[in-house]
Amino acid sequence: MSEMSYSKAINNALFQAMEINADVVILGQLIDYKSGVFGTTSGLVEQFGSDRVQDFPVAESLMTYTAVGAAMAGMRPVIVHMRMDFMMYSMDAIVNWMSLMRFKSNGKTDLPVTIQAIVGRGWGQGPQHSKNMQTWFAHLPGIKVAVPATPFDVKGLLLESIFGEDPVIIVEHRSLFSMTADVPDVPYRVRFGHAIVRRKGKDVTLVAIGSMVPLALRVAEQLAKESIEVEVIDPRTISPFDGRTICESVLKTGRLVVADPSWQSFGTAAEIVTQVTEKVGHRLIANPMRISYPDSHTPMSASLEKKYYPDEVSLANTLKKVFNSKRTREFNGSFLL
Amino acid sequence: MKRINHETIFNMGHYNILSIKDVRPELVKYLYRFMVRLRRCQEAIIKEYHPADEIRCPVHFCIGQEAVPAALSQLLRPADHLLSHHRTHGYYFAKGGSMKALLSELYGRETGANGGIAGSQEISVQDVNFCSGAILTGAMAIAVGVGFALKAKKEGNVAVAGFGDGATDQGVFWEAINYAILRKLPVVFVCENNRYATYSSQFKRQAKENISEKIATFGMRVQSIFGNDVILVHSVISDAIERSRAGKGPSFIEAFTYRLNAHVGPEDDDYLEYRPKPELDFWKINCPITLLEEQMIAHNLLNSVEKRTIISEIDKEICDAFAFAKISKFPNVLNWGKLNYSTNSLLADRLLRDIESTEFNQHQKDTIPIPY
Repeated sequence: MSEMSYSKAINNALFQAMEINADVVILGQLIDYKSGVFGTTSGLVEQFGSDRVQDFPVAESLMTYTAVGAAMAGMRPVIVHMRMDFMMYSMDAIVNWMSLMRFKSNGKTDLPVTIQAIVGRGWGQGPQHSKNMQTWFAHLPGIKVAVPATPFDVKGLLLESIFGEDPVIIVEHRSLFSMTADVPDVPYRVRFGHAIVRRKGKDVTLVAIGSMVPLALRVAEQLAKESIEVEVIDPRTISPFDGRTICESVLKTGRLVVADPSWQSFGTAAEIVTQVTEKVGHRLIANPMRISYPDSHTPMSASLEKKYYPDEVSLANTLKKVFNSKRTREFNGSFLL
Repeated sequence: MKRINHETIFNMGHYNILSIKDVRPELVKYLYRFMVRLRRCQEAIIKEYHPADEIRCPVHFCIGQEAVPAALSQLLRPADHLLSHHRTHGYYFAKGGSMKALLSELYGRETGANGGIAGSQEISVQDVNFCSGAILTGAMAIAVGVGFALKAKKEGNVAVAGFGDGATDQGVFWEAINYAILRKLPVVFVCENNRYATYSSQFKRQAKENISEKIATFGMRVQSIFGNDVILVHSVISDAIERSRAGKGPSFIEAFTYRLNAHVGPEDDDYLEYRPKPELDFWKINCPITLLEEQMIAHNLLNSVEKRTIISEIDKEICDAFAFAKISKFPNVLNWGKLNYSTNSLLADRLLRDIESTEFNQHQKDTIPIPY
């Protein structure tokens, strides 16, 4: 075990993957400079050389096709996008090729491509440096989507992706990069589709995704002082998605809030609420609620950013509302909770 | 480089330069047989398609474009990769795909090359390193990725990308050309310039028609050739492949050719009047099979008895393949999950330990990143 930051855990995973398997290569813009994509790729080129750690041309589209082709011919490529927004250049490669290669080969073709997509936040990153398009990718069959929230999970999920056989998109929130935790030194796996209960509670189930996890834990701790016991569940991967762990929690609490760091409408939180309602809706004693980003692009101005991103106060208020409300069969004339 | 294009080729009238002098007779016979087999198989599919309507998928035929696949068939090794556009049948045969599996795929049967999942325009067979797709510039770009891996593995294998002039409209095409030359990847790009992307002529889509010249400015080795001279096509592609095998990087070959059938399906689409009749007539006279046959007869490599024997052998194979496809079963009830995701990960099982941790220090503040 070593205590390390989220970004160091990424670096550690990449280093170990390249060390134990010569088929692992990393492609990305500026990955071989000292800054090393916020420290996540630092030291790799010195150890493994520029054939395996390649600064790619400013051609994200081709970068993704290159990874697909390399994987088809037996390699295990990892590609790094310093901001997920730039990855949008490669939508054809992802949607029309990468996601369906196994399908169209009648299940036969393995395609171990790992895409690390960093989601920016703060310091006026604005609408082209902070998008989180996780839901689009989770919607696509054939691709797995991980949303690791801790240093432990990001290392385990990265290694699981690199040495697994399916294409994976790993959504890495930049605001988590400095957080530290104990991380095992050996190469280990965190499996897809296994949610984790990060805090036990009996009153409200709070599903928190990615960058919402630390926020959720802090708010849960505050509410415990007011005798509201929040159960915090981190799905860790949204495709495949572990609905069972969440439903089991809701069976106990009867209340559900989903905290999702992406746009609200037609989003990941909507899917989670739907799955819970379909399976254990009869046990809900309050209408479920979502806390997520407004249906708007990200503003630059710091004062607007503060309004845009949910904070401890807004999450706590939402949880209290759900905790204090009772669902009745009668409509009370208002669509407000 | 002598500059040729569709205009200069049309102005030649009859192409009478094809020569099999100094070419091994076995090679000539091989190329001829490949082309006749491909042509007759496709003609049989056209004949069968309607009115039975048992083949229920879009089929893009390559009648008239048999020369490039024939040459590749003779030049590629099993470990080489071929990635092609949606006009797949020639390339699929070139990589050793079986006729029974092709027809079964078209009929949507479980014995199809892809279990009836992919169809004609996306047929992809990993066992023979063949991949294709209808969003076709992607296949060409993926060939660059395959080249990336083959270069790293240093076994002298190559990736070949087959595409048309339409693919050169796309942005990623140029990204791929640049990267292949930058990294000296073992990729041979074969552009079958048949002048039309569906119905749209190259002149409606591109300001200048000189694809090869544009690519040469990237530092790529290029060659423009008359693509229905199968002997010439074979020799030029052979040189390019040998260079790539020897670590000398990629080449680009522009082979001018023509699709004699409609863009898609067995029906004629010339009622749309997108291509002039004299042009079509020129290419009918100069089809790759006719041109080679003329020379073979002149050099006593083929007589009418031999030709009849070849055709009857091929027709027997086609007949058997159709029968096989038609009696094959439709795919069973599917497990959709298994079709889209892996069911095991043996390498991860071997390399990674199962460790679980719920520990996380929740008292840390998430950070608002500094400027960059």
